[in-house]
Amino acid sequence: MASITFKNVVKTYDNGVTVVPDLNLEIKDKEFIVLVGPSGCGKSTTLRMIAGLEDVSSGELIIGDKVVNTVPPKDRDIAMVFQSYALYPHMTVRDNMAFALKLRKEPQEEIDKKVNEAAKILELEKYLDRKPKALSGGQRQRVALGRAMVRKPAVFLLDEPLSNLDAKLRTEMRSQIAALHKRLETTFVYVTHDQTEAMTMGDRIVVMKDGFVQQFDTPQNLYNYPCNMFVAGFIGSPQMNFLNVTVEKAAEGQVLVFGDSRISVNKPELEAYIGKEVVMGVRPEDIHANSAAHVGEPAEYTAFINHMEMMGSENYLYLDAYGQKMLARIPARYEFSEDTTVTLAIDTGKIHVFDKETTNIICH
Amino acid sequence: MKKAKEKRSNAIWSVILGILSILYMYPIVMILFNSLKDERAISTNTAFQLPTAETFAGLANYVNAINAQGFLKSLGYSLFITVTSVAAILLFCAMCSWYITRVKTKFAQGLYFLFAFSMVVPFQMVMFTLSQTADMLDLNTPWNIWVIYLGFGAGLAVFMFAGFMKSIPLEVEEASMIDGCNPIQTFFMIVMPMLKPTMVSVGILEAMWVWNDYLLPTLVLDIKKYRTIPMLIQYFRGSYGRVEMGPMMACIMLTVIPIVIVYLAGQKHIIKGVAAGAVKG
Repeated sequence: MASITFKNVVKTYDNGVTVVPDLNLEIKDKEFIVLVGPSGCGKSTTLRMIAGLEDVSSGELIIGDKVVNTVPPKDRDIAMVFQSYALYPHMTVRDNMAFALKLRKEPQEEIDKKVNEAAKILELEKYLDRKPKALSGGQRQRVALGRAMVRKPAVFLLDEPLSNLDAKLRTEMRSQIAALHKRLETTFVYVTHDQTEAMTMGDRIVVMKDGFVQQFDTPQNLYNYPCNMFVAGFIGSPQMNFLNVTVEKAAEGQVLVFGDSRISVNKPELEAYIGKEVVMGVRPEDIHANSAAHVGEPAEYTAFINHMEMMGSENYLYLDAYGQKMLARIPARYEFSEDTTVTLAIDTGKIHVFDKETTNIICH
Repeated sequence: MKKAKEKRSNAIWSVILGILSILYMYPIVMILFNSLKDERAISTNTAFQLPTAETFAGLANYVNAINAQGFLKSLGYSLFITVTSVAAILLFCAMCSWYITRVKTKFAQGLYFLFAFSMVVPFQMVMFTLSQTADMLDLNTPWNIWVIYLGFGAGLAVFMFAGFMKSIPLEVEEASMIDGCNPIQTFFMIVMPMLKPTMVSVGILEAMWVWNDYLLPTLVLDIKKYRTIPMLIQYFRGSYGRVEMGPMMACIMLTVIPIVIVYLAGQKHIIKGVAAGAVKG
């Protein structure tokens, strides 16, 4: 059981490349934290610094109440699951799981008990005497989890553990890992580039880009209140629509002018932007075919359907609205066809407005 | 149609390779036959004849070979030198390759090229200075000649080990470090067992070379005191140019047999080990 704190942590490689310029992060005890971001954003490096596989160039990394900058991996009381599983190929499943315990010279009965217990939870009992190469990908990943589990570590680190699995197995393992977190009651740090994994598993999510933390918040808050265009675009699938609109003064509040459509809003933050162009963010699910389902005022606009994707319960409409591309998610009961012009409505209660230059949020 | 064509080309290849293998086997078979013949029946005229009832000597040559020149003592030396040399090569070169592949510095890179380069230098170029140096350092007994063999064997061994080690994912070693291994434990408990196929193939290649080596022990060892088997064979040439052909042939057979057994036992691993470095598994 341990909290993890990064204080002004910098990671610069020997070749002079700085991957993590200045990281400040506080992970609470027993939390499930997901580090998410595109590849090369420094999330894996951050995880490897916690593990002790990468040195901290400067700053302080604290696990529990101890600064661990120079503590070797084996003394950090952590366990790690790798993307490539990293099982010991010459050992059986049982030996793989017992290896750390044997190194600690725990009594054999204790080891057997722990290994059998973990094998039971992960449904690996039948495979205990097999070598890793005789197992499927999902089973190997479970062995890797088991190897980490038996040690009862204070911190559980997972580096893209599901990316080598097929889609169905990934969904299954996702819930297994979440259940494991509940059962073990330890701190989990999970790295992924898949926003669905992040949203479904994390208590809190760290969205990273170019080594900087963009936003650190709960999944709901990331989705509803993204702090900039990067987070808004990264979280949620399909991606949020970004539309260039102009702010105009109205009798009461402001108007966002989007082609022929005029969207009335009343946000004091927008006063400074009158006459300027800003970016309006609308999620595909906040565009509706009729006016009934809206939270705020519906703002109607016309668009041309370029292409349509049938997803079963809903359709994705690829639209061209006043020269700007956008995507709408419309329930399948509304019948639309390609190459026609339709009138849709944006839920004004759910729009986000971003500064065009800084890409930061102006108002929700 | 295709199958018939394939079959025919297979047949042709079988014939060609069959002839080749006969060519390779022939000298050994000839030595085997001659080792079973009476000494008078081994001459330039009769060397190619099969043993007949009159010329068949049974195992007399073998008994003679074993008793006459201190064969068992030489066998002991050869065995000791081969085992210690191969063990030293395997252990030290595996460790060295681990360093070279995992530590990405200019020094490690340079070291690797030095090892590879040492394979290119012919033995004859260094042999005279070597025998001097060996005398100076007292490396001229069977008990410590393995140091010299380690030097000559390291090029090939490091080359092969390093080639294979590049294909081992680093994560496995990182996992062992997190599990609680120090670097020594990681090497012996994780890396070494994974190297097994390469270990076997390097071991066999080096063992064949050390076992059969004639020149290096002749130059380095005190010939009067220590004779390895390849050296011993030469001493069946007596004075006045007389050669004890029968025992000599028997002795050659006795030398060949152990290494053939070693090779047969491990040939599967040789191909695996050589391919392992080249093809990503």
